[in-house]
Amino acid sequence: MSNVLLEVKDLKKYYKVPKGMLHAVDGVSFNLEKGETLGIVGESGCGKTTIGRAILRLVEPTSGSVIFDGVDILKLNKQEMRHMRRNMQLIFQDPFSSLNPRKTITQTIEEPIILANMIPDPDKRFMRVMELMDTVGLAERLVNTYPHELDGGRRQRIGIARALAMNPKFIICDEPVSALDVSIQAQILNLMKKIQREMGLTYIFITHNLAVVSHFSDDIVVMYLGRLIEKAPSETLFANPLHPYTQALLSAIPVPRIHNRPERLLLRGEITSPINPEPICRFANRCNYAMPICSKEEPGLIEAEPNHFVACHLVGRGNGCSFS
Amino acid sequence: MEIKKINEQENTLEIKNLVIHYISDEEVVKAVNGVNIIIKAGKTLGLVGETGAGKTTTALSILNLVPEPQGKILSGEVLLEGRSVLSMSEHELEVMRGDKVAMIFQDPMTSLNPVHTVGHQIAESIEIHRKVSKHQALKQAKEMLELVGIPSERSNEYPYQFSGGMKQRVDIAIALACSPDLLIADEPTTALDVTIQAQVLKLINELRQTYHMSMLMITHDLGIVAEVCDEVSIAYAGRIIEHGTLEDIFDHMRHPYTKGLFGALPDIGVRRSELMPIKGLMPDPTNLPSGCPFHPRCDYVMEVCPQSLPENKWLSETHCVECHLYKDTNESML
Ligand SMILES: Nc1ncnc2c1ncn2[C@@H]1O[C@H](COP(=O)(O)OP(=O)(O)OP(=O)(O)O)[C@@H](O)[C@H]1O
Ligand SMILES: Nc1ncnc2c1ncn2[C@@H]1O[C@H](COP(=O)(O)OP(=O)(O)OP(=O)(O)O)[C@@H](O)[C@H]1O
Ligand code: SF4
Ligand SMILES: [Mg+2]
Ligand SMILES: [Mg+2]
Repeated sequence: MSNVLLEVKDLKKYYKVPKGMLHAVDGVSFNLEKGETLGIVGESGCGKTTIGRAILRLVEPTSGSVIFDGVDILKLNKQEMRHMRRNMQLIFQDPFSSLNPRKTITQTIEEPIILANMIPDPDKRFMRVMELMDTVGLAERLVNTYPHELDGGRRQRIGIARALAMNPKFIICDEPVSALDVSIQAQILNLMKKIQREMGLTYIFITHNLAVVSHFSDDIVVMYLGRLIEKAPSETLFANPLHPYTQALLSAIPVPRIHNRPERLLLRGEITSPINPEPICRFANRCNYAMPICSKEEPGLIEAEPNHFVACHLVGRGNGCSFS
Repeated sequence: MEIKKINEQENTLEIKNLVIHYISDEEVVKAVNGVNIIIKAGKTLGLVGETGAGKTTTALSILNLVPEPQGKILSGEVLLEGRSVLSMSEHELEVMRGDKVAMIFQDPMTSLNPVHTVGHQIAESIEIHRKVSKHQALKQAKEMLELVGIPSERSNEYPYQFSGGMKQRVDIAIALACSPDLLIADEPTTALDVTIQAQVLKLINELRQTYHMSMLMITHDLGIVAEVCDEVSIAYAGRIIEHGTLEDIFDHMRHPYTKGLFGALPDIGVRRSELMPIKGLMPDPTNLPSGCPFHPRCDYVMEVCPQSLPENKWLSETHCVECHLYKDTNESML
């Protein structure tokens, strides 16, 4: 247990919107061990970004707790939180809009160092920036260039260097390669893995791309409309997905091969609204296996096999799984 | 790259030696640099390539919609069912667009009419192009909405009530409702979630068969290609550097860039494997490399590569490649 770096317990983030209460994240719990990577997947709007931001308290969670390195960070005051945040960084999806267009690469990377007054000496600070640029594979000649002069891959490298500037222990990567071409995407993924190995970093890796997440993660969390509906070690999840939504999600990925193509499990209909959701299974209206109970009760999360959690009425009704 | 002449009648679309540059006072963007494409009747061609490879520009030429005044078609031919698109009158183009060719745009220009319900707009297109009654058309419109993942009860809503992704799906439904001879789909599902994408791809496949539609599917997703295409053209820096059937490209890919693309993909369900990225970046289209445009990134580069543009070589009846490693036979130096 001592190896746990992050413990998220019953985390909720609700937004008040004109039509009611929007349940962006609705009671999510998980643990993350040091040096491991947790992948979070799910469809657009299921709450992935909100979880990441709530863990870092970039949005204030509605309730729940986030215990980082033994400290309940939701109890920290502003100043303590600012200190804590050095250990916890975020890499954004859109490498363009997340960078200040009026700052050069050097200025962008050194900004957090200056704000934290970590290296007061300008020469030493510049050395640190050069070191960071080298780590992420940015050529020295680029020091004085601006974001718009660079391609998406290089911009994302700046985002990574900036996140590394404070020597964090933990980085939340929110769709870090989604905006990039495959050849550039692979360069960035390899870089992020190398850095993790060398610095012993712990990652939360948010993406809607299951191939990327499977390549990267130890454990995977599948979200649906604010709820955690399945969690398992990566291999287990791909070999034996238990939730009907996870099964559909896996089978919907277009696989880049022409032989042994998997059978498609198609869903129908739209994702239901996250506003004032009823206490029923939120997937029921699209589920191919829905039973009467699914529209009456919300299924709880149960451990179907060791380390494999799922929230579905089909699973664990006495006789284990009713499908394989 | 030259594509062998088959029976001309069998080709829905033929693009020959197309060159399109965007010319402004400051610079010349060499977007399309001698593209050859053939789409046979009823077949789907996948046009694959990374950002800036010239895919959209090529597609726009089929509708004669290359943006003016910068976009200049410097040479080449675009033949739709044997007729030259580039010399059609404005009236002929009007008739052709929508009826013969429909395009799902990469950036939906929100062609939707704000004062009509989405159901009405899809039904209108069905009524005109499929020649069914108004009642039938409305019924089919609701089915189409469901198929693109929008509950049919929402057919009475107006475009402003829909999110961006939903509007894109309505655009897809309208383009499909035209039952055109040729459907150009420019990255039609990139903004959609995978489970919805799977529904839309299935719908496209079904309509394609029912209406014997030919299709140009532009994508950077080789998974989508495997799912819907018969043949594949790989674009790089405004040229088709490899072309073949699905088997040719997926099982016997030859061009170092094509090999790189496959190597850069993470395998689903496989962890901890190192990816093999292609080194370097896509070339700058205002300043393309000499000779083979891929040579600065290529692991197999030879003395000749920066010196001359490799000619198109046929490796079989169906498979051709532009790379100095290959000769006009099945042999290679790899
Ligand atoms: N500030 C806000 N006010 C109201 N609703 C919000 C706010 N931020 C997010 N939401 C809503 O919360 C839900 C979850 O959003 P979130 O951005 O976390 O989703 P996501 O899983 O990251 O989606 P995507 O894959 O599209 O990035 C959505 O329904 C979104 O509309
Ligand atoms: N209207 C325009 N004026 C000037 N340059 C343009 C214009 N439209 C496209 N270009 C340039 O032409 C080149 C080819 O663009 P095109 O949109 O055809 O590429 P693409 O393969 O469709 O890329 P993507 O995958 O990003 O959609 C790019 O360098 C692009 O910046
Ligand atoms: S022609 Fe030369 S540089 Fe171009 S892909 Fe072939 S081997 Fe590489
Ligand atoms: Mg998000
Ligand atoms: Mg394009």
